[in-house]
Amino acid sequence: MSESLSAIPSGVRYYFGSEAHLRRAIEQAAMTIFKAWSYEEITPPTVDYYSLFERGMGSVEAQDAFRFTDTDGKLLALRPDVTSGIARAAATLMAKRERPLRFSYAAPVFRLRAESHAEWRRESTQIGCELIGRHGCAADMEVLAIAVEILSFLGLDGSYTITINDLEIFNGIVGSLGLDATAQEELRELVDTHNARDLELFLASYTSAEECASFAQLVQLSGRSEVFENARRVITNQRSAAALGRLETLWTVVDSVGLSAQFEVDLGDVSRLDYYTGLLFKIYVAGVGTRVGSGGRYDQLTANFGKAEPAVGFVLDLDALAEAMRANESITRLGEVAERTAALIMDEDPKVLFREALRKRERGDKVLISPQREVMP
Amino acid sequence: MTELTIAIAKGRLQAEALALLARAGLRLADEAHLSRRLAIEDESGRYRFIFIKPADVPVYVEHGIADCGLVGRDVLLESEADLLQPLTLEIGRCRIVVAAPDTNLTDGFGMLRVATKYPRIAAKHFGEHGQPVEIIELSGSVELAPVLGLADCIVDLVETGATLRENGLQIVEVIAESSARFVVNRASYQLKARFVSSLLEAVKAGMQEMVVRPPSPIGRETG
Repeated sequence: MSESLSAIPSGVRYYFGSEAHLRRAIEQAAMTIFKAWSYEEITPPTVDYYSLFERGMGSVEAQDAFRFTDTDGKLLALRPDVTSGIARAAATLMAKRERPLRFSYAAPVFRLRAESHAEWRRESTQIGCELIGRHGCAADMEVLAIAVEILSFLGLDGSYTITINDLEIFNGIVGSLGLDATAQEELRELVDTHNARDLELFLASYTSAEECASFAQLVQLSGRSEVFENARRVITNQRSAAALGRLETLWTVVDSVGLSAQFEVDLGDVSRLDYYTGLLFKIYVAGVGTRVGSGGRYDQLTANFGKAEPAVGFVLDLDALAEAMRANESITRLGEVAERTAALIMDEDPKVLFREALRKRERGDKVLISPQREVMP
Repeated sequence: MTELTIAIAKGRLQAEALALLARAGLRLADEAHLSRRLAIEDESGRYRFIFIKPADVPVYVEHGIADCGLVGRDVLLESEADLLQPLTLEIGRCRIVVAAPDTNLTDGFGMLRVATKYPRIAAKHFGEHGQPVEIIELSGSVELAPVLGLADCIVDLVETGATLRENGLQIVEVIAESSARFVVNRASYQLKARFVSSLLEAVKAGMQEMVVRPPSPIGRETG
C-alpha cells in the first residue's frame, strides 16, 4: 500500500522550497517584461478539443497529447501547447480586434511523451508571447528583443546564444531541386543533423557535383555576418535569395543595437518545417545541454482557423531557464526579491499578533507565525 | 580548464577512434591508455575523454554532459537521439544486415521471428516492407538464435562475415552501411562554436592523413 501511495507517474514532479520560489520569480519577471512591451496576458483553457491541437500543431505533434473523451464522446486533450489556443482565439473570438494582437502567457503544457530523450518532463511550463497580424523585420526584431531582455534580466548576459535562420532559404532549394515530400523530409533531416557527407551523396542524384558540394557546405555555415557572403555565392534560386536578404536585414538590425555577439546565423537549422514559415530561432544557454527556448514566424497557423495572417512568437521553457540560472549562478538577484528581512512574530494575544504581523507585511517584511519564541534567521 | 568533453564508444571502435584523434593532434599519455580510469584528459589538457558503452554515447551527448562523441551509425540509428552529425569518419566500417540459415526467408505471409540487439532498426526495416515480425531482443551472441531455433533470422552488424559463416548464416539483405560518426550536442555546437569547429577541422585533417581503406563491396559472398 505504502509503495503505491509514494509512486508518481514518470515525467512529472513536485516543486517546492527555493526552486518553486525561483520558478515563480522567473515567471513574474518575464510577465512584467512582456507587459512593458505592451503584451496582454492570456490563458487559454487547460482542457480543449483534440482537434484544436491537430489544427494548431499538426497531426503528428498533436499525437503527444494526453487524450480523453467528453460526455458527448468528443475527444478532449490536456493542452500540449499554448499557441494553438491563442491562434484560434485570434482568428475567431478576436477576429474583429484591431491588429496587431500582442499576447503573452506563462502556462503549463502536458505531453504523453517527452519531446526528446534529454527532456524527460511530461509537464512543463511554457513562457512565451505571440505577435499576430504583422510581418516584416520590425515584428521579428520585436520578439527577439523581448527574449533578449528576459535572458538579460535573469542574469544570463554573456551565457546565451540565439541562432537565427529563415526556412525559406531551405524551401527555395527544395523547390529548385523539385523534390517530392519523402525526399524533402530526407533532405531536411540530413540538413538538420548537419550531415554533410550523406547530404552530398543524397544530392548527387538531383544536381551537378559542383552544386552538391556547395549545398553541402551551406548546412555547415554557421557564424556571423560572413555567413551571408558565403551563402550568396552558393544560392542561385530567387526564393532562397530573397529569404537570405531578409535574414541579413534582420542581422543588421541585431548588429546595430549591439547584440551581434549574442547571435549566430545557423542555416542548417531546419527543424519544424511543417510549422514555421520564415524566421526560425533557437535559444541556448551555457550549462544546459538542451535548448532553453525557440521561436519564429508561423504565417500559416491562423489560416488553419479561418483567418490567415502573419504571426511571430517564441516560447521559453521554465525548467530550462531555472536550470540555466543555477548553472550560471545568477539566481541571487531574483531570489532576493521576496526574501527580504524576516520578522519575529510570537503566538501571544491574537489581536496584538495580527496588528504586528500586518504592520510588518506593510513594510514588506517576511512574516512567520510561530508557536515558539524563536528568532527567525 | 578543458574546452570540450569527448565521449568515445568502448570496444570495437575505441582503438581506431583514438588512432584517428591522435592524428588530429589529440594525444593521450601512454600511461593514461593503460589506466582503467573512465575519464582522462589529453596531453594538451584541452580535451577530456570519457570511455563509455557505445549505446551510452548518444545519451551523454544529447544531454550535453559530453559535447562531442565518436560512435557507430548503427548505434545512432538505434538510439534515435537528436544530435548533429557533422562528420562521417572512415573508421569502424560495417554493415547492418538481415541474416538467416537460408536466403529464401519467407513465403511472404508468415510471422517472422527476428533476434537482434537492434530492435528499433529491425522493427523499422520490416515495417517498411510490410512484413509482420516478432522481435526477440538479445544482448549478445545473436548468431546463435537461428541455429538453436529461437528465431528465423537475425538483424546484426557484420564486419568480415566470419561469425556468420561459422554459424551457417547467410546475408539476406543489407539494411544499412555503417561507419563511425562524429556527433555533437546541439547546444555545444553553438555555445562552444569556436572549440567545436577547431576540433572538427583537426579531425578532418587527421582523416586525410589516413590511408583510406577502400569500402568493402556490398555482396553476400563478402559478408
